[in-house]
Amino acid sequence: MHSDSIAANASNIPAASSNAKDFVKKKRVNRSAKLKQCKLDARREQWLSQVKNKSGKEESNGGTIGQPMATAGNRMGRAIEKLEIRPRVEEENDGGSVHHYSDSESPSNSPMSHTGSVLGGNDSGTNSSSSSSSSSGGCCSGSMSEEDEGGEGGCLDDWEAVADALAATDEKQQLHIGSAPVDKNIAHFDSQSDVDILKEKPENGVSVQRAPVNCRAWRPDDAFRPQSLPNLSKQYSFPMNSDRHYGCGGSVWGCKNAASIPKSCPICYEDLDFTDSSFLPCSCGFRLCLFCHKRILEEDGRCPGCRKQYNYDPVEGEATLDGGSLTYRLGRSCSMITRS
Amino acid sequence: MVDLTRVQKELQECNKDVEVSGIRVAPKADSLIHLIGTIPGPLGTPYEGGTFNIDITLPDGYPFEPPKMRFATKVWHPNISSQSGAICLDILKDQWSPALTIKTALLSLQALLSAPAPDDPQDAVVAQQYIKDQNTFISTARYWTEAFAKATGVEEKVKRLIEMGFPEDLVRSILEAVGGDENLALEKLCSA
Repeated sequence: MHSDSIAANASNIPAASSNAKDFVKKKRVNRSAKLKQCKLDARREQWLSQVKNKSGKEESNGGTIGQPMATAGNRMGRAIEKLEIRPRVEEENDGGSVHHYSDSESPSNSPMSHTGSVLGGNDSGTNSSSSSSSSSGGCCSGSMSEEDEGGEGGCLDDWEAVADALAATDEKQQLHIGSAPVDKNIAHFDSQSDVDILKEKPENGVSVQRAPVNCRAWRPDDAFRPQSLPNLSKQYSFPMNSDRHYGCGGSVWGCKNAASIPKSCPICYEDLDFTDSSFLPCSCGFRLCLFCHKRILEEDGRCPGCRKQYNYDPVEGEATLDGGSLTYRLGRSCSMITRS
Repeated sequence: MVDLTRVQKELQECNKDVEVSGIRVAPKADSLIHLIGTIPGPLGTPYEGGTFNIDITLPDGYPFEPPKMRFATKVWHPNISSQSGAICLDILKDQWSPALTIKTALLSLQALLSAPAPDDPQDAVVAQQYIKDQNTFISTARYWTEAFAKATGVEEKVKRLIEMGFPEDLVRSILEAVGGDENLALEKLCSA
């Protein structure tokens, strides 16, 4: 099963990637800022050096970041593939993605399958993504950190696309995060599975029972890619669901955080990218980009929001909300700065 | 190097709601390093009705260093030098934060006008007067506002100078030559 899905994935990679690359390119054209590019490059380097420093096994990742298709390992391949398929799914219709999940997980939704057949080109991609997720379910707990590394390598490639999607959906994400702790599967309750559940609710009453199944199926995603970009773009396509999320979460936290994430850095006025907007250096909640943060650390090191000294420990409070994945990244962001 | 992108955006933002805030910021010359800010005197204070110009110089480290601000319009206030226009305000010194902007700093200046802090004076004479004889302080401040912070139209100046007995065309040309400064024009007219 495991190796099968990998093989299938590998065959799908070229097709999926070409589409995804077009998608990314479009976005790039729209981007005015060379500055942004510089910023991304710099960050990429930072991440790379970070990854290399961690341990020997990441060296292969360094290679794959440059040419993800050529040298991707098994897990890398899977992560990258998902990464690249997702934007495409979003490009298609919402109806399409609804169908894909139900297709693999519940026969009760099979009447919907006509949508799937309409999106002929998309079928291979989605099938493989669902199969890979189910097959990799077992390994997520065992090799979490390794998966994380792989996921990040993959993410770098699609970084810009993610940043765009993120800016638009920050708010949504926070709501999702806020609602997560209510569920049993706190750690791995992916926002994407949230969306799944909600999507299915109107369709049939079985959704409540099926929810845990969905969670498990998507758990590997979280493990692979804590910053999984496509998750966000997916949420973007279901904005109306946020109300319901909010209701089930009952989370004051989610609301508060959603309001406090700015789209651009309040210091340099550049757009916040994904790393930036998940970077919370001070307990007062003031957010800024990593570059400005670094600059401030070089000088008086006081938070612009509350004028208190930055302490070098990241704030754990929000990280727990995100089910663990954010903790990991926060730690990184901070260590990146102190190291340099 | 000053972050010009940010300065430009700040100017745009600030001048978007001039009608609401009354606060303007404009470049002094071509560069965005020297700016002129304009704040209306707060209502209910001796500064009401006046328009105060503030010289702004952005240091290289802006926005990580505070902008240098100075009142270009003479103003009678305990925390503003009546001679130089230097301002004593914490956010322009150690309490500056890069999250603040030129506009918020100007808003703070406006707030300073309505809430003097004589305990931490810039101009000791004014501060003494404020503490010991507030009525005199208020009337002096109001007089200074009338005298220096109220823009009078060119026609009004021309009229006043003509009433002094100078020919109109000469008055106009000299007023134009000195940039509209009535006192300078009068000096020139007298010496001519």
